[in-house]
Amino acid sequence: MNNDEMMYHIHLKKGDIGRYVLMPGDPFRTDLIATYFDEPKLIAHNREHKTWIGKLDGVPVAVTSTGMGCPSAAICLEELIKVGADTFIRVGTAGRVCDAAFDTTLDGVINTAAVRDEGTTIHYIPIEYPAIADRHLVDALSRASKKLGYHYAEGITQSKDSFYGQHEPENMPAEHRLKERWEAWRRGNVMTSEMEASALFVISSIRGCRAASIMSFGDMPKTIEVAVEALRTLIREDAEKEV
Amino acid sequence: MAVFTKEGRAYHIQVAPGEIGRYVFLPGDPFRTDLIASFLDDAKLVAHNREHKTWTGYLNGQKVSVTSTGMGCPSTAIAVEELIACGADTFIRIGTAGAVRDPEDYKHYDGVIVTGAVRDEGTTIHYIPAEYPAVADRFVVDVLAKAAAAKGLHYAEGISQSKDSFYGEVAPETSPAQGRLEERWQAWRRGNVMCSEMECAALFIVSSIRKCRASAIMNWGDMNKTIEIACDAVKALMETDNRE
Repeated sequence: MNNDEMMYHIHLKKGDIGRYVLMPGDPFRTDLIATYFDEPKLIAHNREHKTWIGKLDGVPVAVTSTGMGCPSAAICLEELIKVGADTFIRVGTAGRVCDAAFDTTLDGVINTAAVRDEGTTIHYIPIEYPAIADRHLVDALSRASKKLGYHYAEGITQSKDSFYGQHEPENMPAEHRLKERWEAWRRGNVMTSEMEASALFVISSIRGCRAASIMSFGDMPKTIEVAVEALRTLIREDAEKEV
Repeated sequence: MAVFTKEGRAYHIQVAPGEIGRYVFLPGDPFRTDLIASFLDDAKLVAHNREHKTWTGYLNGQKVSVTSTGMGCPSTAIAVEELIACGADTFIRIGTAGAVRDPEDYKHYDGVIVTGAVRDEGTTIHYIPAEYPAVADRFVVDVLAKAAAAKGLHYAEGISQSKDSFYGEVAPETSPAQGRLEERWQAWRRGNVMCSEMECAALFIVSSIRKCRASAIMNWGDMNKTIEIACDAVKALMETDNRE
């Protein structure tokens, strides 16, 4: 594929977006996230990938929806990288896994790494390779959460391919395996369960990009506030590094 | 979680609870513990059983230990489990590693600070399925990175491949599994894996599961400087830990 062409799935081309992208799963959540940008403008909506651009502190930023699951998240991320993005923060919702995640004072979790419980990233690299977030992005999210007075824990997320395999394992012929593995993640201090972080982390590591993910346990506006504040920090610190 | 002798010593490392600090340096080589202990104040030899040699001394007046893991994840997992059972919760592996990428990628680096590991070994799947990530503690990575920068040294940060077979890496052509070894090595190379060694995966997996902190600093220049960085990093952790 020619990298100067309109990308096949996200319908963006080079120059349409800057380097910073927020990534919810839900196309309709991009509308809410875009309201936090200055000068928001809808520039594409093809299949499950809806993109708004805008500015934060004068710097171009974007929000693009991944759709649900690692297959569409991987397509979206590859195409965003091809058009020039290199810094990604996933903003989404997640279920709770280990006991510590059931702390009712938690607003959510900042993911440091992911369990590759999905079928996409083994098309990239063998399963033994770790799905890890960029530590500087995790730090920016953590500082943003503290600055705003919110309570986000840090921890590993399970990225699964089957929503109903998690929620209704008893309906699955593979019930035993699902339950046994869930118990292993729980005992391995996995904090959250969602469906896209693994692809985001593995592909970003391989392509030399930066990625992290912040999961909401309920109050989505708070989570978006933290992600936007973290982006402002990164924009400022990246500019300082360039000087 | 560990097996203890009737004298109250962890079965393989032969250390009793209280004899070590919460901060432990982990070289692979038992004989390298002597060098690392020389960087501690008032270091005393605690035990040497099998490949596990332990010294305890002090940094800034707080107890710090060094224990050798031996080579490979099987003995590393044993050492880490037993050290945790004796009261340790913060680990910095100090060791040597091979290059994965092209020589020019390493020209400007004195070594690597390890952020995650490829679980290319047979130990950690006894703990948790292979999909689970072997990830270092980001705060331990951070103190190592800052300590290296303060000395004006250049350590890359990146992922390490933790393998079970040394000769499978350095002489794959002598192995019947040559095709698989070479194909996977290419995948690690293209996945920006920075170094290859034999213990990080076990250290990171056991630490994540047992709620401990771990990272690793791999050296290919001056081992003394690498040890100094690790000592400075522990001092920085002490400051934060004591404040909290």
